[in-house]
Amino acid sequence: MNNTYDVIIIGGGATGAGMARDCSLRGIKALLLERSDISTGATGRNHGLLHSGARYAVTDHESAVECIRENMTLRKIAAHCVEETDGLFITLPEDGLDYQARFVEACRKAGIRAEVLDPDYARRLEPAANPALIGAVRVPDGAVDPFRLTSSNIIDAKAHGAEIRTYTEVTELLRDGTRIVGVKAYDHRAKCEVTFHAQVVVNAGGIWGHGIAAKAGITVNMLPAKGALLIFGHRVNKMVLNRCRKPADADILVPGDTISLIGTTSSKVPYDQIDNMIITPDEVDILLREGEKLSPVLARTRILRAYAGVRPLVASDDDPSGRTVSRGIVLLDHATRDGLEGFITITGGKLMTYRLMAEWATDLVCKKLGVAAACRTAELPLPGSGHSRKDVDKRIGSTPVAQRRSSIARHGDMAVNIDSGDSIKKSLVCECEQVSIGEVEYAMDNLAVNNLVDLRRRTRVGMGTCQGELCACRAAGLMGRRDAVCARKAKADLASFLNERWKGMQPIAWGDTLRESEYTTWVYESVCGLSDEQDKTAQQ
Amino acid sequence: MNTQQNTVSENNFEQCIKCTVCTVYCPVAAVNPDYPGPKQAGPDGERLRLKQPDFYDSALKYCLNCKRCEVVCPSNVRIGDIIQSARMKYGPKHNTSVRNYILANTDLVGTLATPLAPVVNAAVATRPVRMIMDKVMGIDHRRIFPKYSHGTFESWYRRHAAAEQASYEHQVSYFHGCYVNYNNPQLGKDMIRIMNALGYGVRLLDKEKCCGVALISNGLYGQAKRQAKTNLESIRAAVGGAGRDVIATSSTCTFTLRDEYPHLLDMENGDVRDHIELATRYIYRLIEERGARLRFREDAAPLRVAYHTPCHMEKMGWAYYSIELLRMIPGVELTVLDSQCCGIAGTYGFKKENYRTSQAVGEPLFRQIEASGADVVATDCETCKWQIEMSTSKRCEHPLTILASRLA
Amino acid sequence: MKFDTVIIGGGLAGMVCGIRLAEQGRRCAIVSQGQSAIHFSSGSFDLLGALPDGTAVDDPLAGIAELERVAPQHPYAVIGSGACAEYAAQAPEILRRAGIPVVGDSHRNHYRISPMGGMRATWLTIDGYLTAEDGGRLPFAKVCIVNVEGFLDFYPEFIAEEFRKRGVECGFGSVNLPDLEHIRQNPSEMRSANIARVFDHEENLEALAAKLRTLGAGYDAVILPAIVGINRSDSFETLRAKVGMPIYLLPTLPPSIPGIRAQQSLQRRFRALGGEYFLGDTVVAADVEAGRVRRIFTANHGNMPFEADNFVLATGSFFSRGLVATPDRVVEPVFGADTVYDADRAQWYTLRFFDKHRYQAFGVKTDAQLCAVKDGASIGNLYCAGAGLAGFHPVQECCGAGVSMLSALFVADKIINGK
Repeated sequence: MNNTYDVIIIGGGATGAGMARDCSLRGIKALLLERSDISTGATGRNHGLLHSGARYAVTDHESAVECIRENMTLRKIAAHCVEETDGLFITLPEDGLDYQARFVEACRKAGIRAEVLDPDYARRLEPAANPALIGAVRVPDGAVDPFRLTSSNIIDAKAHGAEIRTYTEVTELLRDGTRIVGVKAYDHRAKCEVTFHAQVVVNAGGIWGHGIAAKAGITVNMLPAKGALLIFGHRVNKMVLNRCRKPADADILVPGDTISLIGTTSSKVPYDQIDNMIITPDEVDILLREGEKLSPVLARTRILRAYAGVRPLVASDDDPSGRTVSRGIVLLDHATRDGLEGFITITGGKLMTYRLMAEWATDLVCKKLGVAAACRTAELPLPGSGHSRKDVDKRIGSTPVAQRRSSIARHGDMAVNIDSGDSIKKSLVCECEQVSIGEVEYAMDNLAVNNLVDLRRRTRVGMGTCQGELCACRAAGLMGRRDAVCARKAKADLASFLNERWKGMQPIAWGDTLRESEYTTWVYESVCGLSDEQDKTAQQ
Repeated sequence: MNTQQNTVSENNFEQCIKCTVCTVYCPVAAVNPDYPGPKQAGPDGERLRLKQPDFYDSALKYCLNCKRCEVVCPSNVRIGDIIQSARMKYGPKHNTSVRNYILANTDLVGTLATPLAPVVNAAVATRPVRMIMDKVMGIDHRRIFPKYSHGTFESWYRRHAAAEQASYEHQVSYFHGCYVNYNNPQLGKDMIRIMNALGYGVRLLDKEKCCGVALISNGLYGQAKRQAKTNLESIRAAVGGAGRDVIATSSTCTFTLRDEYPHLLDMENGDVRDHIELATRYIYRLIEERGARLRFREDAAPLRVAYHTPCHMEKMGWAYYSIELLRMIPGVELTVLDSQCCGIAGTYGFKKENYRTSQAVGEPLFRQIEASGADVVATDCETCKWQIEMSTSKRCEHPLTILASRLA
Repeated sequence: MKFDTVIIGGGLAGMVCGIRLAEQGRRCAIVSQGQSAIHFSSGSFDLLGALPDGTAVDDPLAGIAELERVAPQHPYAVIGSGACAEYAAQAPEILRRAGIPVVGDSHRNHYRISPMGGMRATWLTIDGYLTAEDGGRLPFAKVCIVNVEGFLDFYPEFIAEEFRKRGVECGFGSVNLPDLEHIRQNPSEMRSANIARVFDHEENLEALAAKLRTLGAGYDAVILPAIVGINRSDSFETLRAKVGMPIYLLPTLPPSIPGIRAQQSLQRRFRALGGEYFLGDTVVAADVEAGRVRRIFTANHGNMPFEADNFVLATGSFFSRGLVATPDRVVEPVFGADTVYDADRAQWYTLRFFDKHRYQAFGVKTDAQLCAVKDGASIGNLYCAGAGLAGFHPVQECCGAGVSMLSALFVADKIINGK
């Protein structure tokens, strides 16, 4: 194997994936290294909100402008990852209407369509909104699925020659004098060390970028900010709901695929805790208390799980020489900042601006490599977004309607590649989310799935109300069937999947969730006699 | 802490914890693979339909609305209601099929047919007519039609019974339903005889329309609502105005008036619901709680009766009362058949596309009936009666018909 | 409606209690809110497989004696080891009389085999289901594991992986039939119950037997998921006779055919003894006067209450809503009886799904007679039985079915003999 590349990208979040795509489209030979699966960091742990920028309009004009521009771009290039729901910024009596006028003015300045609605009309438009609202502004917010978005970037990057290695963790940055020339990494699957060389190494590790930079002896001081969210069992609201006031805790409710999400809290956490996010009862309380103000029906809606992400906020006081190009996006050329050639860091920003971040970082890589190619990621549709949903629907017409629509929602026009030829392929593995055997096999063969949790991110297996109660077993069975020697691994994987699901259920395990957990315990521990001994051993 | 204090979800479908029990007892999913099954069609599907209405699957029309899924559900999920409501909310808004219109409008058709009963009965029994109905309308040619009575129960009542019934000290109102009115006035007469023996006079409602069960299952929701409104007005007049309870001999009419009105048609009936009773339950109460007594013939020949529990009876949980009444009758040797769907489900089994499913659903019941050695099958539902009589060698009667025949 | 005893809850505890009482000539009613957890049965019934500290138990009755010492709040300890031994002798007889042919020994656990090939200590197993004795020795050296094509709730590869560890040579086989193709047209209903309905038909059972004969050639035995005999009781016997070589069944993911059969058999037995079984009904109110329950009201029967001398609360734990958890407490919803639980929700569970969680041992507070306690005082004619009792871990201690049946028999005894 030739382990030399033009560029090594560290981090398989949206930004890293976007860069891999951008680089490969510009003819740069790229390698992406991710210590776990793609979109496991902050990328997969946020609202999935397709920001219009309205939320930042008053406080951060520049971010707002970036958002609305990227918003319009994503609708075009990533149509299958986007739901064009629009959003409402509602004013409650306790907020007062003063902010609304400032808000609308700021939106207009940033180029964001902001339409003041009659309160009665707003209530009819979005019955889930708090009927006590005294004002509402409609903006082009939407929902974006981060897993699909990242996966689609990866697919396109690969198609254009990029190499993607997940479960490969960078352990060392290789240095030649004042230059970074490659990385040493540990392959968690093959359980061996590997070395890669490149002219430029890009640190796109999000909050973990702090640690990656440290390996080069460089300080990029990040402030980990934990944001907790709750997932509700079904789609409560049709439109994104925001509070029309200065951004605060738990004031965004986003409908995404089959569910709705409320978030977030915001709290600083120590850097050594970023891999250990536990939701506290207080956080659940805040989310529910504030969430109910946005949409009272949340008090009577089942919560599926709780989780938290860590935002990579860069401390500006620690940035004397770096070029802070935006209050959001941070691109550091360590040659100019720290005198270290061949190493750059792209961080800050948000899911919404992943493409722009990738573009800026790739521009810098091009400059270093002397490549003149221009960025095309804002024009070329991502795989999955080439054809309209209607066209795809016609092409796979023989599949039952719910299954068909679900697979199109998840894979866009790539859904035609799912084998639905016979009744076995159409059999459902996950009944809540309508994932068929054909889709599971498609994901295993084409979407770099290594375990059940990866499979969940590609297909929504186990993301429905039962949280894997029946489907996890079936999916593990399919994975085990692929290769008899893997049966042992598939079983350990199942145990680890159930532990992962429980982690999110445990903070809200009362009512029907506790009933369901008890039932799941009967099925897996009692009837199936499963234990996590192997999983425990694997983790130690 | 005050978060989610009312943790029981108001979204009833969310109480489903995917235990799969409903799928075991769905009579349709067991025989017709085109039906998605109660879990998929109900709570799973509801969640998807809330995401986007176009996840609605037209195969929900195969649901019999037997509610057996609800009876077995350990989570109190109103699976059947969710499915029927989805049909109303997301399904075709206008029912244009002539066949469905005719099947659904039991009282209109009854009104037209009863004056010509001999001719109509003879005609629908002939092969050419049945083939035409099959080809033109999609009513299966193998289906045997219930016979129409020559003259309605209501006209008989007004002419021969009204005056006398008014003379009793205690009074009930009778919701006779289409079946008694157009097909089997004798059951109404039997009921009156029993009630009279218990010291009760039987009155008609001011205005009675078909309960609407067939309209609901055939997608004629607007008409169902209008008829429900008329019926509730009449029932309120009887209960509130005249202080009379309303009793019905048909388990399905009873169920529709009590439960489908509020659950599916949004017709609130809480003020009168407790006063809408099944006849056998009402009689049971008079005997058990009020000490009323019936005198039976001593000389009646022994009779082996097998009781079949109609689906809506199972849902109401009231088969007990009919069974206990049958047990009271001297000389009756009672077997209670396993509670399972007979497959007809009102107008469902009449439709050509459902005929096979309908008969397959009922097959285990038919086998049990044939093996029971019973002289007669008893059941509180008229459509079950048609199905059993068509599909087995046994006669099928209402428990009150059997009871009345053995009164002294 | 008047009965001698009204039992709330139609699961294993309620049914065993009802059958016992009915066998003694009592007129009983069971009110059940839907079908019970028996529908997820493994085909085996546990008595005691582990002590609270995790020590494995080989001799359940000896283990129960030990519980009296180490876990006095455990229902077995409350019942007493002597009485437990007596009821442990009665319980299998009750099952057998109901037509559930169980095999097992109260003094020696055997192992049942899970749909994933794992082994768990158990007490009674229904005839035909694969078990292992003596530390997991299997009764064959070479076995063919057969599945139905497209059936997703059974895992031959996982089973083979475990069996191979034990030195058993494993092969695989698959069965398909036109009638199976038919039900497979539905993407979600290829479930054990629907498959079993296919094999209730004689010609399909015959075809299955023929296929198994072919697949089994050269093997010591054939293993089949539990997909035979939902509505007929002789399916497995017939199959065994037709195949002419050892066949063993293994349980599947829910719904469970042995569970459904057991439920139906118990229900039928109860009815045959004159019991009244009210399915799909919920108790909505109860009249409790002077420390006694006088009558209960249900959703279906409205103004027609159930009156009885004694009542049994066999409503189960969280699954069946015998216990309801809110964010800060655990309540018993029918009578508002006192419950045993931790006030601090953070104590209810740990972060690992497979850990022993404290919530699993929450339950209704009872006195020495297993009468429910409300506001600190016993309700004299309200007995508790089954999963709703406090103080035990049904899964981790492998004792769920045992606690249900033994507490049911204890309670029935108290009702029959007075206190």
